Amino acid sequence: MLSIKNLHASVGGEEILKGINLEIKAGEVHAIMGPNGSGKSTLSQVLAGSETFEVTEGEVTLNGENLLELETEERAREGIFLAFQYPVEIPGVSNLQFLRTAVNAMRKHRGEPEMNAAEFMKLAKEVSKQVDLDPAFLKRGVNEGFSGGEKKRNEILQALLLQPKLAILDETDSGLDIDALHVVSDGVNALRADDRAILMVTHYQRLLNHIVPDYVHVLAGGRIVKSGGRELAHELEERGYGWLGVKEEEAAE
Amino acid sequence: MKSAPTLPSAFLEPAGEYLPGPLLALRKQRGTALVDMPLPTRKTENWKYSSRHLKLSDELAASLPSCGKEGSSLSMPGYRVVFRNGVMIPEASDFPDIDGIRIQRFCDLNDEDAAALAERLDNTLDSGAVQMARLNSARFEDGLFIQLDKEAVLDQPLFIIHEVTASSVGSAYPRIYVDAARHSQMTLVEEYISSGNEPVMVNTVTEFVLAEGAQMTAVRLTVEGESVQHIGATGVRQAASSRFESHCVGFGGPLRRHDLQVRLEGEGAECKLNGVVVTQGKQHYDNHTSIEHVAAHCDSEETYRNIAADESHAIFNGRIHIHQDAQKSNANMSNKNLLLSTGAEIDTKPELEIYADDVKCAHGATIGQLDKTSLFYLVSRGIGRREANTLLTMAFINELVEQIPVEAVRDTVQLRLNDFFNQTFQEV
Repeated sequence: MLSIKNLHASVGGEEILKGINLEIKAGEVHAIMGPNGSGKSTLSQVLAGSETFEVTEGEVTLNGENLLELETEERAREGIFLAFQYPVEIPGVSNLQFLRTAVNAMRKHRGEPEMNAAEFMKLAKEVSKQVDLDPAFLKRGVNEGFSGGEKKRNEILQALLLQPKLAILDETDSGLDIDALHVVSDGVNALRADDRAILMVTHYQRLLNHIVPDYVHVLAGGRIVKSGGRELAHELEERGYGWLGVKEEEAAE
Repeated sequence: MKSAPTLPSAFLEPAGEYLPGPLLALRKQRGTALVDMPLPTRKTENWKYSSRHLKLSDELAASLPSCGKEGSSLSMPGYRVVFRNGVMIPEASDFPDIDGIRIQRFCDLNDEDAAALAERLDNTLDSGAVQMARLNSARFEDGLFIQLDKEAVLDQPLFIIHEVTASSVGSAYPRIYVDAARHSQMTLVEEYISSGNEPVMVNTVTEFVLAEGAQMTAVRLTVEGESVQHIGATGVRQAASSRFESHCVGFGGPLRRHDLQVRLEGEGAECKLNGVVVTQGKQHYDNHTSIEHVAAHCDSEETYRNIAADESHAIFNGRIHIHQDAQKSNANMSNKNLLLSTGAEIDTKPELEIYADDVKCAHGATIGQLDKTSLFYLVSRGIGRREANTLLTMAFINELVEQIPVEAVRDTVQLRLNDFFNQTFQEV
């Protein structure tokens, strides 16, 4: 589904990703772990199409299509979804309006009729329950005044509504208490499907107890230095990153 | 050295023969005072940014004919008075007889009422600051005199449609005077529209005098075409415990100017002034507001938002003057501005003069662009650029648009905004 070959990316002339290679097939769940500053978030943002970063080398394809040539919104319509590490607050745009606009943009792209306000409200309320978010949050500004946990649940809510082909979760567990972690994990597990892939980016192994990955990769210094099965996560938990020749806080942040 | 330009004498030709005697006399008197009136220049502080857009040629002095078709964009679920080129069109107007409410055109006033009105006109605006309002007094040919008796309540909004027919070069001078007695209430909507493409000037004056406990909501929508210079002034005087709420929404043109002056003269009076301005192309919009806290214990709340695209220019000048005796005044002023292109310009200036020592007075002004992080967030959900930009720009003014208490106005504003967004934002 997703194929990344020798991906280099930089910001302000400084190279952050220094040759990433990764293959993800439909139905798989991959976890990318690594110390702070290793380039995990950069990889997520580059895949989603952030203009902050410049891709200097390499290629990325989604189901054979060159992803790097697509605008951010086109990538989303092709099925890329990024759950943000820091979801953006947009006062003045209601969450409901935002979600419906997004869902209808996708439907239009697929040639399906748009959902009217009433139909969408019904759907949004159902999905809100699934992530244990009070439907009152639909009426508020996008993420406006949401707690850290509410913002993360709102991200998963969006993933459930948009039904992406590839969901990228950037530090989705950060800032969550244990109850919220369960809710978010249940939401992500509900996304697992044979025709969908999930890429989790995380600093801690904790999330991986709840969303069990098929593959684990260690990202350090802008490269994947080790790949393995789910047992690699436990090994990292016990031994840290040092045994891989990676310093815990190796990159300047 | 070249002397400052003065008002062309053609603007002071005698006319207004349909007005009752006392009003005609006032008009003549005002006209005489305007002979050789210096026009504002770049050095006139309150016209610093706009004087070069003010173009008063001899041709523009011509009175526009009061005929033509009617074409308001508002579908009005209330009462309606139509003015064409400053002259009321009775057959297009529709308002009922309601006990305690008199709505009369100037031309229909008897001499006694006209004399009483002539005494009262021009007492709400500071003529030093609103020079052009005097031209209206020297040129109006008709007008609307609205009187609300004690505790009278108008049950639906009164729409006043001011149409200017720009099918020939000239100018028009719409005039409104509202006298609201104790505890009376009404909502007044003024819509300024135009037809035709010849250069014209619309010079308006609207005055409100609110007695104790009166409540007035004034909505002003300026949507005239690209050949119209619009120079308007609104003056308000408020007695104790009265409330004045203003919603001004304006779309740009070659020159758009609105002076809004509110005097809080009785204890417990309050005013709320909202404003939204949207400019594009080479348009120009200049809002000057002034709030005088004369009496103690008055509240004022002012919120203006400007959005400027392309090479347009928007100006906000907000003055708050708290007099020495106006203790416990509470004044809040906020002006936020959004630049949608690098060629656009916005100038904002708060002017606070505070002579009382026990007051709460807050003001804030910002100028910014659309937030790139927010834009990325929206498009990362598949939302197109045009729609994402539109959502973010609407977010900037949503709060003010939603507060407009008349649905027909909100709908018109939304349609005009949609046109603006379609012209301003493109898909990648």
